[in-house]
Amino acid sequence: MYEPKIIGFLCNWCSYRGADTAGMARLKYPPNVKIVRVPCSGRISPELVLRTFAEGADGVMVLGCHIGDCHYSTGNHRTAKRMPVLKKLLAYNGIEPERLYINWVSAAEGEKFATVIKEFTETIRELPQFAEVMK
Amino acid sequence: MSDRLEALREAITQILPEVDGVIGIKSGPSNIVAPHLFVKERVEELPALAIWPKEPLPDTLKMIQKAHPDAKLAVVCRGCEERGLVEMAKHAQVNLENVTLIGLQCSREEAEFCRCARPYTVHSKVVVGEPIEGAPDPLTDEFAAMSQAEKLAFWKEEFAHCLKCYGCRNICPQCFCNVCTLEDEKWVETGRLPMSMPAMYHMIRSMHMTAKCVACRECEEACPAGIPLAIQFRLVARDVQEMFDYETGADLEQKPPQLLVLEEGEYERTGLPH
Repeated sequence: MYEPKIIGFLCNWCSYRGADTAGMARLKYPPNVKIVRVPCSGRISPELVLRTFAEGADGVMVLGCHIGDCHYSTGNHRTAKRMPVLKKLLAYNGIEPERLYINWVSAAEGEKFATVIKEFTETIRELPQFAEVMK
Repeated sequence: MSDRLEALREAITQILPEVDGVIGIKSGPSNIVAPHLFVKERVEELPALAIWPKEPLPDTLKMIQKAHPDAKLAVVCRGCEERGLVEMAKHAQVNLENVTLIGLQCSREEAEFCRCARPYTVHSKVVVGEPIEGAPDPLTDEFAAMSQAEKLAFWKEEFAHCLKCYGCRNICPQCFCNVCTLEDEKWVETGRLPMSMPAMYHMIRSMHMTAKCVACRECEEACPAGIPLAIQFRLVARDVQEMFDYETGADLEQKPPQLLVLEEGEYERTGLPH
């Protein structure tokens, strides 16, 4: 058994606030996710996700505003167009696509934030350690 | 093959007086072929016209247009090269207004060699040879049927031979950025071998080829290690077609999906949560 290392890229306007909401409501969730605050989920380039894996992350989360609620109006459309392709590409490279997780969490959805973190941590825990597989 | 070569020579001879030059392939000493600009002042070069192996002529057109933006040119193009030109035009790399496309249809052997699904031209006004149907791509199909672990093992084996020579990027007609991510130490360990897994170089290139790769297989041909690079590009292209209804090089008017916002129904096909 190992403790999975997960990096979560959270958009400043919705998902990061959602994490705050979860904290203020004293909701419990696993500590495996290290949060990186970004201006917009559309900022997350495929390179960033791949480098995060290359550095030894077992899972990567990209959380952004719901489609239609983006602070920059269509920033998360980029996420929605790019990340599904990246997931397919991971699969073609022999990497489980489940290791990359995309979802939309608003500032009010503290509950959803905690659930999403819990579920994703469990998914990753089922998979072998990434760095070991890549050796 | 010789019939097609003869027909192509005939087509070029006809078009030559109307244009400043025709870009094609010329064979030289010891049968080495290279891209060449045929001009009406030197018609004696036409007997040396060649058609195989193919060379990246779209890039030659781009180079000539850069130096002579107003030149009236014609270019010999196969199905893949025509698709490449369409994509390059969309990204403002070539201007097709002053260009006559001479569509060279591939033979059955050539299509099978390239595992090409679309070995014919669709936009070219001048057509040489008979268009044929696409050839199967057993290599990609076999790969797609592999398990996750087998796929990983496949690339570990293949990428272990990668020299990081950047030949696949240099030859690619769709790789034209002035500043290349693949030369940035932040993302790729340049000049260090063997390539560590996950293969950042190849994965980033695959991502950048989304909705751009026209399946010309120039990268595979250029690769000194013989890595079947086109497999990933082709599988991604199939996904892009399914998700965003985008076929590379098919339509000059259709904008690349990665540059646009989500359209009606697209989100449902991406498989993202609601």
